[in-house]
Amino acid sequence: MADRFSRIQLAPTRRQFLKTTTAVGATAVLALAGRKSGALAQDADSTLVIAAPATPQGLDIEFDVSLGSIDSLGALYEYMLGYEKIADPDAPGVLREDTGVHTDKPNNLALRGRLAEKWEMTPDGRKATFKLREGVVSNWGNKFSAKDVKWTWDRKFNLKGQGLFQTAVLGLKSPDQVKIEGDHVISFNLDQPNPLLLKQQCNLANPIYDGTKCAEVGGSDDPWAVNFLKNDSAGFGPYRIAQLVRGQQAVFEARDDYWDEKPHMKRVIMREVPQSASRFSLLQGGAVDIAQFLQPRELEALKKQPNAAVDAVNSSYMIWLELNAKIAPFDNVDVRRAVNLAIPRDEIIRTIYYGYADEQKAPMPYIYPMADQSFFNYAYDIAKAKELLAKAGASNLSTSLSYNAGDPTQEPIALLIQTSLKQIGIELTLEKLPAGVFYENVTKRAKPMIFYLDSPWTPDPGYSTYLYFNSESYVNYSNYDNKNVDQMIKDGLATLDDAVRKQKYTEVQKILMDEAPWGFIAYPQYTLARKANLKGYTYYTSNNLRFQDFSRG
Amino acid sequence: MLSKLGLVARLAVLRPRFAIGYLIVMVITLVAIFAPVIAPYSPTEADSLSFLQPPSAAHLFGTDNVGMDIFSRSIYAPRIDLTIALLGTLLSALIGGSLGAVVGFYSTGRGVRVWLSFAVMRADDVLKAFPVFVFAIALVASLGQSIQTVVLAIAFVNAPIYLRLMRSQVLSIRSMRYVEASQVNGLSDMQTIVRHIIPNAMAPVLAQLSVNIGWGILLTAALSFVGAGVRAPTPEWGSMIAMGFQNVVTGQWWPSMFPGTMLAITVFGFSLVGASIEELVDPAKRRHLLSELRQRRGSTAGAPVELT
Repeated sequence: MADRFSRIQLAPTRRQFLKTTTAVGATAVLALAGRKSGALAQDADSTLVIAAPATPQGLDIEFDVSLGSIDSLGALYEYMLGYEKIADPDAPGVLREDTGVHTDKPNNLALRGRLAEKWEMTPDGRKATFKLREGVVSNWGNKFSAKDVKWTWDRKFNLKGQGLFQTAVLGLKSPDQVKIEGDHVISFNLDQPNPLLLKQQCNLANPIYDGTKCAEVGGSDDPWAVNFLKNDSAGFGPYRIAQLVRGQQAVFEARDDYWDEKPHMKRVIMREVPQSASRFSLLQGGAVDIAQFLQPRELEALKKQPNAAVDAVNSSYMIWLELNAKIAPFDNVDVRRAVNLAIPRDEIIRTIYYGYADEQKAPMPYIYPMADQSFFNYAYDIAKAKELLAKAGASNLSTSLSYNAGDPTQEPIALLIQTSLKQIGIELTLEKLPAGVFYENVTKRAKPMIFYLDSPWTPDPGYSTYLYFNSESYVNYSNYDNKNVDQMIKDGLATLDDAVRKQKYTEVQKILMDEAPWGFIAYPQYTLARKANLKGYTYYTSNNLRFQDFSRG
Repeated sequence: MLSKLGLVARLAVLRPRFAIGYLIVMVITLVAIFAPVIAPYSPTEADSLSFLQPPSAAHLFGTDNVGMDIFSRSIYAPRIDLTIALLGTLLSALIGGSLGAVVGFYSTGRGVRVWLSFAVMRADDVLKAFPVFVFAIALVASLGQSIQTVVLAIAFVNAPIYLRLMRSQVLSIRSMRYVEASQVNGLSDMQTIVRHIIPNAMAPVLAQLSVNIGWGILLTAALSFVGAGVRAPTPEWGSMIAMGFQNVVTGQWWPSMFPGTMLAITVFGFSLVGASIEELVDPAKRRHLLSELRQRRGSTAGAPVELT
């Protein structure tokens, strides 16, 4: 044994040398390959790939609320408060925000602290003080303090973008009403009580910025960092943006220094795939984890795939017709009522939505507290609709219905409505508008009848009705004007007494349903098509994803 | 009459592809004319009780997303597509051809009219520099979505073709003796152009017409496909394809396949007709065709073959 050993050691033959080096080499390669495949598998496990209709156009909520942008927001930024999560009663495995009225909880709300650890409101409801979390750092390494919250709200006042609506709905008239009370204490001081004060701290449109970083990059030329925040982020959320190539993809990386539980998905790739059929094929082939905004029939087809799953939850989405109260024939309330009676909701939900929607029976999302569907008197009734038109002295009407070419559900809905309205003597011309032109027409309020799909993000009847039916609201696209309704909406936003609020908003809903400023169509569900092994989906009333919720099971 | 029919028959045997082209155009035209008689259902009314039905005895081509019968819509569609393409092409030939004749007539010499001719040709260059489809979309976007606008779009994008075609013909005709003779006899420039130049320069324009009609159908369908064409629910092949193509991945192929096939066949037919006209009006090709016909007839047939 010793001889042999010494022979090998001292005088190896060529064959022995080759055998030895090959064995060593193979072992090393296998070990490396094993490690690499393990690493690749781990990478795939912690990488979330999303096929989205569009990448974020901008990352600044002040100016951009497009689909890709709102999905990025909840990952890049943190909020003062959040709702507690509960299991969705109708969708197994899905969580959702607990937005109900809880008389057993402070302020009747099920809230949890995020950047704010503790909070309290004065009994008169005019001041809320927040004790902020310490030890939180931004994606730029700056420590979080009350100055960041102050900078965030000052920015809203100064930029006059969508933030101005946020200040207005809270009744904030001056930046001075947001006061720094200490390094980690801030207060909101209102002239009158406002039930939205805490709810708005959870709203996706109110992320907290890293004021230090923003001031540093903006300088005196751009004090509110508009240019910087369009393409990058400065926040306290669980992700940072690693790449944004508009029209192609956005890449997000999880932060190791995030203050709360670290996300399972270390890397998120959002790829732009405009056609829903292509997104469907990608998910079907296993190339992506999530395919967003698929057509209902595609969702139905995916349900039969063993490697895919579909989550469908009742959402805050509403789709309706803006019946312009200042343009004939919809300046006549009976014509508006007749149109509502002739909308074939049942057919629309069955044919276009394949059941992924419910009939819209209230002027606000039916999942919101105080929503009341009992005032809906527009079950499909052609005879009654004809009677109403006769009563209004309106016969052989012709008008137009404008719809968005970018939303594939609107054209078939328009066709069904056209066929139905023909039966009551209303001749509809369908006008297909490219997406950009469509929204311009909605905001100009120049069309007699135009589709609208939207959701009020804050789960509150005051917020919702103020947004769509207050005669002074920018979003009151149907030109509805009822001073009595205006006053009741404002009254409901000036009291913390939920009993009083309920009484006010019940009355508001009763009037709105009677005067029919909208052609009520449907509440579409929020649907998520995903790989079967992806879990953790949580529904938010802002109808967006938060990547940190996902893991694999 | 019989001899002409015989001639057509012999031509059909000699060039079967031309016969197929004429047959396709004839059938599609007849279908368009008799669509109200043939169609079993209304082409514009939705029926949500029978949406996305596959082809069956009740619905030969199946139904679309809102239950409209695809067969009925497919046979009504050429009424719109053919009308738009025909009107658009004729309008473009009228505008482009007239302008081309005048520009060609005044292309040489001196004076303001020569400069105007030059300016028209440069404007034509600018027009041709735009991608045709983008230009058509821009026109529809600015003038609004309607059948008239699509006709105008087709006329505008095709007009430069006829302008150049007519100009090149006129350039060679204007120096002919009969043109000089007409002017010596006291005819004005316009009278000369209308009476003597345009009629003699028409042959290539006519050959181009058929090709452009097919192309016009395609452009109409393409505009409708991107949502810039005719309004829904007007039966039109492009909009039908657009409404149905997303269904293919989930297995419902029929809403886009049938109108797509009819569109392809029609454009193919017009392109064959165009090829036949080109062969018949080109003197060299016509001579070759005649000699082929003579060879086929052989020495047994006595009468000479004439194509007029």
